[in-house]
Amino acid sequence: MFKLKEKWRLLITENNNAFRNMAIDKAVLKSNSEKKVPPTVRFYTWTPPAISIGYFQSLEEEVDLSVCRDFGVDYVRRITGGGAVFHDKELTYSIVIPESHNQIPKKIIDSYERICGAVIKGLKHLGIDSKYAPINDIISNGKKISGNAQTRKEKTVLQHGTVLMDVDVEKMFSLLKVPNEKIKDKLIKDVKQRVTSVKDSLKKDIAFSKAAESMKHGFEKEFNVDLIKDNLTDYELELTDKFERQFFSTKEWNHKR
Amino acid sequence: MQSKSIYKIPGGKLLKIYLEFDENKNLIKNISIMGDFFAYPEEAIEIIEKELKNTILEKKILFEKIFSIINKENFEFIGLTAEGLTEGILRCLN
Repeated sequence: MFKLKEKWRLLITENNNAFRNMAIDKAVLKSNSEKKVPPTVRFYTWTPPAISIGYFQSLEEEVDLSVCRDFGVDYVRRITGGGAVFHDKELTYSIVIPESHNQIPKKIIDSYERICGAVIKGLKHLGIDSKYAPINDIISNGKKISGNAQTRKEKTVLQHGTVLMDVDVEKMFSLLKVPNEKIKDKLIKDVKQRVTSVKDSLKKDIAFSKAAESMKHGFEKEFNVDLIKDNLTDYELELTDKFERQFFSTKEWNHKR
Repeated sequence: MQSKSIYKIPGGKLLKIYLEFDENKNLIKNISIMGDFFAYPEEAIEIIEKELKNTILEKKILFEKIFSIINKENFEFIGLTAEGLTEGILRCLN
């Protein structure tokens, strides 16, 4: 039987700071779990650049806070697990969707792969071949181009992840702490071999808007839906302000481990 | 006494344990389980940290306790296992 394509919401929110970005993801998760908004895909950037750490990481163990201050780099704890990420020249996506949706595999690890499939199709649209690398990476030419993290709360899935547009490994390691300073130079060399970016792959700069257009295509194709551009609702804006104030910009939240 | 360990779980993520323990009684006083793993729900880790207080630092006892909490509560880990967590805790004693 002929079935109309489902319509999901698309949000494009450039240039928010780290606290607001994490607050928006949490706000959309809550409003979707209360059935107030459809499944939502968001593409965003970080201004100023920021480090996000995984929910279970220790801020001071992972991040050199004084170097962050010197560079004007923010830092924030995510509600998702996973590792520390330096968000600079990248496109970040998030998807929020009910756990029960027929497009979402029940097994968590399978749902990582499924959602990464949308990013892989988006990269393909840009002209980059890539594949899923368990647990939570996407690699191109054997090198990492995207990292992803998922949480499930109130029967709702939130997965967010990066698409590296350009990467500065030296700057990244000046901001992140490494277990052994003596091997830092070798580590930087290793990571340079293991990380790539859209710019690296295509040998040219790609504008955020173009990358977002390709990612939109990737999500629409993977999930067989139309993404309709819209804005945060008033309720979500209210929640965003609240979460930003009460969690993500506070010392209690960011230093809790 | 206080101690730390860093342990790469085979096939998983990097686990960092901070442990406060009673040397004479061989008991956990306080534990923080940190790292770049995933836990569903995330509260699982705080629950395990709480339940591990006053647990004897012995491999079989630790493993069985962690394993039974995970099973009872239906917790799911990615990049972390009960075996790995046990090993990470015991490495704080070396």
